Amino acid sequence: MLAATHLTRRFGTRVAADDVSFELAAGEIFALLGPNGAGKTTTLRMLAGLIEPSSGEVTVDGEAMTRTTAARLRSRIGFLTESPGLWDRLTVRQNLLVYARLHGLPAAERVVDAALDLFDIRDRARDAAAQLSKGLKQRVALARTLLHDPSIVLLDEPTSGLDPESARDVRSLVLRLREGKRAVLLSTHNLDEVERVADRVAVLRTRLVALDTPAALRSRLFGARVRVQLAGAAAGHAASLRRLGLSDIRVDDRTLSIAFDGTAFTTPRLVRHLVESGADIESVMAEEPPLEEVYMRLLQADAGTP
Amino acid sequence: MRRVAALLGKELADLRQNPAIVMPAVLTGGLSILLPFMVALVIPYVSGERLADSSDFKAAIEMYAAQPGSRGLDPEGAVQAWIFLQFLILLVMTPVAGSMAVAAYSVIGEKQARTLEPLLATPLTTTELLAAKVLGALIPSLALTIGCLVVYVAGVAAFARPGVFLVLLTARPLATVFVLGPLAALAALQLAVCVSSRVNDARSAQQIGALIILPISALLVAQLLGGIQLTMPLILLIATGLALLNLVLLRVAVALFDRESILTRWK
Repeated sequence: MLAATHLTRRFGTRVAADDVSFELAAGEIFALLGPNGAGKTTTLRMLAGLIEPSSGEVTVDGEAMTRTTAARLRSRIGFLTESPGLWDRLTVRQNLLVYARLHGLPAAERVVDAALDLFDIRDRARDAAAQLSKGLKQRVALARTLLHDPSIVLLDEPTSGLDPESARDVRSLVLRLREGKRAVLLSTHNLDEVERVADRVAVLRTRLVALDTPAALRSRLFGARVRVQLAGAAAGHAASLRRLGLSDIRVDDRTLSIAFDGTAFTTPRLVRHLVESGADIESVMAEEPPLEEVYMRLLQADAGTP
Repeated sequence: MRRVAALLGKELADLRQNPAIVMPAVLTGGLSILLPFMVALVIPYVSGERLADSSDFKAAIEMYAAQPGSRGLDPEGAVQAWIFLQFLILLVMTPVAGSMAVAAYSVIGEKQARTLEPLLATPLTTTELLAAKVLGALIPSLALTIGCLVVYVAGVAAFARPGVFLVLLTARPLATVFVLGPLAALAALQLAVCVSSRVNDARSAQQIGALIILPISALLVAQLLGGIQLTMPLILLIATGLALLNLVLLRVAVALFDRESILTRWK
């Protein structure tokens, strides 16, 4: 649906994005993670046809984004900029109407009415944008981004600066986009948000450091790990497991945290062994390190630090 | 064209919500109307001296005695007609000067309010964006010019010598207001929008854009000093020059409007 192929963008001698490639599929939420200055906004702007890559190519449904095609292809893309960018003196309705007309929608008034209902902002339609809270402004901006029913949606830090409730509202709206089979690219610093909504994650630091599903990234960096809660002390059972070749075992009172990496062990086999050795198991669960840990590990590895 | 109309609608709606921005233009328009009335009517009335008695206006009396539309005027009426005609160019200039603030702020204002990037993410082309911005400043400017002209002619009809107002309704003044005025305004506002898309501070844009007032002021002074007379052929010549200048300015403005610099370098 949307493909970035070897995208590079230089500003003078500074390289803002370097050889970035990925594809975005319909019905997918793709998160672009990275520290400040990593090139996330530059990449989004190239994808939205706002700035040209120094080299590489953006294609939308197989059609290359060029100077001549950009204006037309932009109509298939909805771009939520980092700031809501509403005209403060105009009402919510006026703001949306201008954009509906800029996109050449045939029944602009009706489309705007539908958007006001969909985003639950009809009661504020006559208010000047300046009177809205930051969360509501973001909701109006999201409504504006989707007015023309784009198949590709680019969201630049959509929950930045929002209170938790407003951020949750925006997240649920983003999840609704996936249901509509749209391809969503989400640029954010918020790892919790990525955890909740993203199907795939790309970590960017000028160039792509990693790209995969959150589960695959965890598994790649931390391996498979299970946490076993016992009814009694765990230390003795840890010793017996070590004798079987499981070397990475953490013990905390009645809890065992066991890594399977490089072994033939599986969770059923582990449970069987523990039961046979007399352990009373209360619970077993796959242990997932927070995405923040995955992210930090990826950046550290990229910087060449341990 | 639909997209230009959409953005133009926004510009005019924005202006309606913030009428204070055109107040300087309204005030200067008002002053431009008052000034010739002071010179032609109030000062002679207060001083008790007729303008026609002054040797300074002999040339004006002779000139107007020979011209169609003003043959029936008495000497005082001829001088009044000359004064009201000379100051007409001020009426063309002042609303433009006022609208300069709107034009100068048009692009830099969007950038500062962080509303430009979402706008550029739509299918709107650079030419459409600039056209809407220029028209958004030009339309109020022209409306104000016409409003001022109506008040001006009505004032002359009411207070000047009988028949003087008819001189203002002849081809030359009407061409000045309705041909030269819009073309000069368009050039000035295009220049201001052009500057607005290149500087990163609205004040700079306004100050640089205001330079367009200088040639119009020079024309007024040259007229008053008798160095130049705005005859119909001269009006048409200037109008042709302005039309060409507008075409060049449109191309230059589009070429100078650098989306990338605006998005990536302006803060």
